[in-house]
Amino acid sequence: MTQPQSRPVVLVVEDELDVADSYELWLADEYEIHRAETGEAALSKLDDFAVDVVLLDRMLPGMSGDEVLQEIRERDHACRVAMVSAIQPGIDVVELGFDGYVTKPPTREELRETIERLLARSTLDEELQEYYSLVARRSALESEFSDEELVRKADYRTLVERIETHRESIDASIPDLASDTEFVGAVREIDALSSPDDEHDGTELE
Amino acid sequence: MYDIDGVLPVDAVTSVQPGTNLLVVGAPMVGKHELALELLTKGFDDGDGVLCVTTNDSVAGLTDSLSQRGASFDPDRIGIVSCSGQESSGGPSDVATEFVSSPNDLTGISIGTVKILKSFSNRNISSIRHGILSVSTLQQYLDTRTVFKFLHIYTSRVRDTDGLGIFTLHSSTRDSEVVNTLSSEFDGVIELRETADDVREVRLTGVPAAPRTWCTY
Repeated sequence: MTQPQSRPVVLVVEDELDVADSYELWLADEYEIHRAETGEAALSKLDDFAVDVVLLDRMLPGMSGDEVLQEIRERDHACRVAMVSAIQPGIDVVELGFDGYVTKPPTREELRETIERLLARSTLDEELQEYYSLVARRSALESEFSDEELVRKADYRTLVERIETHRESIDASIPDLASDTEFVGAVREIDALSSPDDEHDGTELE
Repeated sequence: MYDIDGVLPVDAVTSVQPGTNLLVVGAPMVGKHELALELLTKGFDDGDGVLCVTTNDSVAGLTDSLSQRGASFDPDRIGIVSCSGQESSGGPSDVATEFVSSPNDLTGISIGTVKILKSFSNRNISSIRHGILSVSTLQQYLDTRTVFKFLHIYTSRVRDTDGLGIFTLHSSTRDSEVVNTLSSEFDGVIELRETADDVREVRLTGVPAAPRTWCTY
């Protein structure tokens, strides 16, 4: 995975100022932090600049966290959204389309881990795309050449190694698919109907 | 371990490790669906749950097919995600059912499976056999790339939850490359074929202890 040139942008949506202060204090070293106290303010910031991860408090004055999320999805913003809530979330978090959640009050480590997981997931579709292209290329070679011919081909051996490396890197970006939110979040990334990113154009090696 | 003793005509293969994903491949009408159902329902005796994602069958029809196999059939241990788009309610009331409007709604399918797994785990059913019936229909609605990505994530999910995954896929000589590409996502492949004199044969690849030859089925 390539490191982004600038720091990832995190939008903290939280109406309790001291809570938002501590998040900012914890995270400002690693991320560019922006803050919003209401859902309306958060949406207007999302219209103004690109945000990688939104930490969204569920209990907001005015628009609720759930409504803000719905609006973010409808406006097709390319950001991942983690819900922050004092209530242990149930299946509804998955259904509503949150990419992750943090239970309140979070520790610094929990916030960082959640942000990192969502950042890693934002490249999942691209990585799977590349991995698919390599596997498809291997299948094409395997249908064209016999096993004896293939073992002598250097580019085939290189391809097999690259496939292995890619697979390991992908599995590292989705480390815990036993988690329901991780699993649905990963599928949402590759689902053209609901992916936060624009559709990729075909880069298949046929 | 998931017991599959007697389902395949290979004495050496009586069970598979938790977290295993198997692809059942063969020409249309060669009996893939039936074999998949056998592999899924074999677990009823051990109290396993069966979670089917069906793209073709109605909930009632699939429940019926499942109930005809396995003497210890129990509707409480069946969950069905119906995504044919043909129905949006109904089916037997004791079977956990989720409806998704179309096979191309992969997020909807994944949410459906999560809800059913949740209802299984609430009842302490932890060994789950997943049936994706069929990958071929997903392919009619989505491009191969997207199906491949979905299979990568779903098979990883089965692996991470110690389930058993059974997937069916049509094959023909025309698309052997596609079959080869999709097969790479599975631990093992079960190929089915019919010989010129109508003998049905099966061959296992990637399953420990299985011979790499065709056996009469």
